Amino acid sequence: MERRKFLGFGIFAAAAAFIPANLSAEDYRKTKPDAWTAHTVEDAIAKLYGTNKTIEQGVTLTAPDVAANGGAVPVDFSSEIAAKSVAVFQNANPESAVCVFTLNENSVIDYSIKMKMKQSGTITIVVEGRDGKLYSAKKAINVALGGCEG
Amino acid sequence: MEIKAKLKDGIVSVKAMAKHPMLTYDVAKKQGVEANFITHINASVNNKVVLDMSTSQFLSKNPIFKFSFKGAAVGDTITMTWVDLSGATETTDSVIK
Repeated sequence: MERRKFLGFGIFAAAAAFIPANLSAEDYRKTKPDAWTAHTVEDAIAKLYGTNKTIEQGVTLTAPDVAANGGAVPVDFSSEIAAKSVAVFQNANPESAVCVFTLNENSVIDYSIKMKMKQSGTITIVVEGRDGKLYSAKKAINVALGGCEG
Repeated sequence: MEIKAKLKDGIVSVKAMAKHPMLTYDVAKKQGVEANFITHINASVNNKVVLDMSTSQFLSKNPIFKFSFKGAAVGDTITMTWVDLSGATETTDSVIK
C-alpha cells in the first residue's frame, strides 16, 4: 500500500516534468485501477467504460490465426471512428486488460503491438467513440506455445 | 528506447522498441522477485501529446509497438517516455524523417 502511494507521487512527478499541465495525459492504471485486475473481458470493459455493450463494427483487427510464440503475438488494429480511447483485452491471461490508448485530435487509430498470451484465446479491441458508443472487433488466436513464460 | 519516425502523406508512423523485461506477477513470484513492467508510455512532438498509452504486464518483453499521428513535420523531435511499476522512467528523443 505504501509502495503504491509512493509510486503515485513518482509517476505524477515524472508526468508533471514531461507533460505540461494543459495537455491530456491519462494514466488509466491510476484512474481505473479495477479495470486492470478484472479477470474477464466483459468485466474489464465494464470497469473501464461503465458498460460492456459494444457494436461490432468499424474496427479492423489483424492478428495471426496461429501464434507460434505466445510471448510475442503481433496484434494490429485500426479504425476511422472519431474516438476518445482504444483498449485491448484478451481472455488468455489471468487478467484481461492489456493496454489503453488515450486519443486526441492528432491521433490516428492505427496501432501495432506485441503481446503475451498464456494460451489460446480471443483478443478484443474496444474503441470508445466520441459519440458515447463503444465499437469492437474480436479475433480468436490459437497459441502454439504459451507465453507467460510459465 | 529505439524510435523510428517517418512522415508520409501527412501522417507520421512510429515504430518503437523499449528495452524492458516486462516481468509479470506470475513469473516474478516463481523467481522470488518483484514484478516489474512498463505501466505508461507517452510521446510528444512540439509539446503536443501524440501517444498516451496505459499498459500492463501483458505486453511482450522488450515491447515493440507502432503508432501513428498527424500534425507534425519532418525535422520535428519526438520525445518518448515510459514509466514502470517500480517508478523508473526512461526518455528518448528522435527526429522525424
